[in-house]
Amino acid sequence: MNEFVQTIKQTFKEVDLVLGWVRSPAAGVAVPACFHTPAQADDAVFDSTCMHNLVVHLPRLAGKKVGIVAKGCDARSIAQLVAEHAVDRSRVIVIGVHCPGMIDVKKAWRCFGFGKRISDAGGRVAMEGKTVAREEVLLQKCRGCRDWEPVICDVTAGGATKAATAPPAEPAGIRKRFAAMSPAERRQFWQDQFSRCIRCYACREACPLCFCRDQCAMQARDPGWATAAIDASQSWMAQLIRISHMAGRCSGCEECERACPVGIPLMLLLEEQNAVIEELFGYRAGAGPEVKPPLLTFNIKDDAWGES
Amino acid sequence: MSTVPRKGIKAAEPLVPEPATIIDVIKEGPNIRSFRLIFDDPGITTAFSFAPGQIGLMGIPGVGESTFAISSPPSQRDYIQFSVMKTGFVTSAIHELAAGDAVAVRAPLGCGFPVDSWKGKNILIVGGGIGMAPLRSLLMHILDRRKEFGSLRVFYGARTPADLCFAGDRVQWENRDDIEFIATVDEKHPGWSGHTGLVPQVIAAQPPAPENAVAVTCGPPVMIKYTLAALQQLGFTEAQIYTTLERKMKCGIGLCGRCNIGAKYVCIDGPVFSLDELKNRMVDGRW
Amino acid sequence: MRFIAEENIPRLLGRLAANAAVWAPQVVKDTVNTVLFAPWRAGGEIETGAYSALSAKELVLPATERLFSYRYRRAGEGERIGIKGCAPQERVVIFGMRACDAKALAVLDALFLSRSAGSYNDPYYQGRRSGLTVITLACTSCDSACFCSSFEKGAAETAGSDLIFYPVSGGYLAGPVSEKGKELAAVDLFQDSSQEKPGLAKTAKVELVGIQQRLLERFDDIDFWRLATEVCLSCGYCSYACPACHCFNIFDETDGDRAGGRYRCWDACMFYAYTLESSGHNPRPEAAHRYRNRLAHKFSYFPLNRGEILCTGCGRCIRGCPAGLDFRDVIRAVSAG
Repeated sequence: MNEFVQTIKQTFKEVDLVLGWVRSPAAGVAVPACFHTPAQADDAVFDSTCMHNLVVHLPRLAGKKVGIVAKGCDARSIAQLVAEHAVDRSRVIVIGVHCPGMIDVKKAWRCFGFGKRISDAGGRVAMEGKTVAREEVLLQKCRGCRDWEPVICDVTAGGATKAATAPPAEPAGIRKRFAAMSPAERRQFWQDQFSRCIRCYACREACPLCFCRDQCAMQARDPGWATAAIDASQSWMAQLIRISHMAGRCSGCEECERACPVGIPLMLLLEEQNAVIEELFGYRAGAGPEVKPPLLTFNIKDDAWGES
Repeated sequence: MSTVPRKGIKAAEPLVPEPATIIDVIKEGPNIRSFRLIFDDPGITTAFSFAPGQIGLMGIPGVGESTFAISSPPSQRDYIQFSVMKTGFVTSAIHELAAGDAVAVRAPLGCGFPVDSWKGKNILIVGGGIGMAPLRSLLMHILDRRKEFGSLRVFYGARTPADLCFAGDRVQWENRDDIEFIATVDEKHPGWSGHTGLVPQVIAAQPPAPENAVAVTCGPPVMIKYTLAALQQLGFTEAQIYTTLERKMKCGIGLCGRCNIGAKYVCIDGPVFSLDELKNRMVDGRW
Repeated sequence: MRFIAEENIPRLLGRLAANAAVWAPQVVKDTVNTVLFAPWRAGGEIETGAYSALSAKELVLPATERLFSYRYRRAGEGERIGIKGCAPQERVVIFGMRACDAKALAVLDALFLSRSAGSYNDPYYQGRRSGLTVITLACTSCDSACFCSSFEKGAAETAGSDLIFYPVSGGYLAGPVSEKGKELAAVDLFQDSSQEKPGLAKTAKVELVGIQQRLLERFDDIDFWRLATEVCLSCGYCSYACPACHCFNIFDETDGDRAGGRYRCWDACMFYAYTLESSGHNPRPEAAHRYRNRLAHKFSYFPLNRGEILCTGCGRCIRGCPAGLDFRDVIRAVSAG
């Protein structure tokens, strides 16, 4: 039995269930799973296809004591939820793993076909006879990762032996073009992007910080800030409601963009906002369970706006 | 996309409502009002026919529409009446309406009570709160054809005396000798001399015989749950018990998906069901 | 059988575009191979290899469509409402649908074009459906999410198609299914051919025998549903990507002063708000209740009411599920034990 499985099994002394991954026979990659018994944990895996942020399940498991396997970026989400009192720290055992950098599986599949086997060894990723350097197929967030060491962790369960070294990606493709756009061009850009949105709310449901979920203002009739219409302007408005609520809360896990079935680059909006928050408040969401999120505190002496 | 002339009430364009005008508003209780209306097209008002228990969608274009039971009897040819409890967005807007205001209506929809198959039987009607609305239509229909049925007994419960609807009708029902009408409120209340206690308790205190009888119930889920238990305790079979349900609906014509209880759609297969058709699905409250 | 050469496809579509909007699967600009059905313009690149992220059901059930327009007008003391219905009459030819998606059209016809007692014909659907011509691209290969072989005819399904293109060397064999398809294949871009049809894809098979009964037996075991769907995020992707899911919401929008329209838009039974009543009561409060209904609707209720299974095995719900939940695993769990 490997050390990773062993660590999960030991956690059962303290928890009701553990959130982790198993390998899907049809897809050949890791998929999220809940282990309810130590025996079930025999199937647990951790590899470079464990891209999902399992923290999304924590708020809805509030009544249970939960173990969760967390990569560094996932741990930031836990820290933010704890700081917001949305998750009770004493009811969560964080099983930290060192992440090798995650492969953008959905993107790879869109090029080679769903379920095509991915091999990841020696810094090279091979698929359907084509081999590329790892950093070419990593998720955007994994390039220049600042979170290799989980910020919140109760036990460590191995993983990669050294921090991923892929440097931050130079803005390419639309990221590069977007950066150079005028406000009017950006407006048109988002109009085009959101014309594809089908309002499936996968972005919201996959987001670990969107715990309002069933009560979300994106979908509410009262206040009706966006109608139910599935068209570019309403969908865009609905998304902006979500994004605004993510100010100072988004730790950049990219789950919304990964979940989007029609490829809307939602992280362009969030990255921009996150950069502003970091500049204004020196805060990155998920800094630690004890760190007070600046937009959730009120201090009359604050001079963040330069108005005092 | 082209514009076509509109046809009859629900055949060709079942999602398009008919304009109508409110002619009277009756305040039934703190949050319940009855709206009497006529269609703007006089031909529709004249031709309008329905069975007690059938429903309609009444709405305000620009706000939305909601489903209500028709609470007037088929014999009422001068208007149709919906009784509306204020609970949400659309019903709050409807409560603002007064006589002369315009609404849009899609009705009748769904299946009513199989009254013709009840001829010669003893009828037991059990209503709670706003659940009395479809039962009012049924009760008045039975009274219109009173000789065709056996005994007629009605239990009607609400939380407080103010929550009991249809005050004018109740006086008439209580004064007729061919109907036993029992109103009850949950707790003792100053000025209330009638029964107190929950409907199932009041039924148990004056048990109706199940032989040759039909029981019809409508009300809040918790009342239905305990009423069904009380009736079954008395020996009523599932085939003898009918209820009429209300679920969130959008289309009203079996297409939009949400009002199903198992394979049955409340909008087209119901809202009237015998307990036989629903089995435990209704008691469970989750489907 | 008729044959059309590969290089004649743009010509064919170009000619069809004179009388109808032509839709085809295309890679979305600025994305890495995200494929969607979209209006095709001459010279446009068609993507026939990768699967589309969404079906083309919007051609018969638009994501949002106007049901009628209203206008309040002054009448004496008060106002009266004027209402004008809408009747879509678009002509569309879709190229490159797969047999599973075309079959889903036939499944939807059983609901929206029903003539049975107690059913209502949907004039909006009918208007769009009658103006739609479907040129299906037969599948000679598949991926591991495909499971059309679980149903009667698998990749050889012809229901819902007007004309089926079978890929062969240098072009396509064309097999007409309907009168529309026959007319289409009669034009001079096609020629007669005695070539053999290619072998069609054999996709994964999920055992569905007895599923209707098993669903009813499992219905009240809510803990089973909680376990089977515990990683489900309860988003609407599977419903919106599904070629057979058709549930909708209705809402009003005002255009301006005392005028506007009533619309319907896609809705998904996996949303909490889908069955939420204004009283606050929700008959399907958990994802488990909603998933149970979704599966039972597809494999029990719809077959019972309309004689068709509400799933054609296209596999989109598996390929695109953000939680990596495989719909087939839940079906297997229902059948097992």
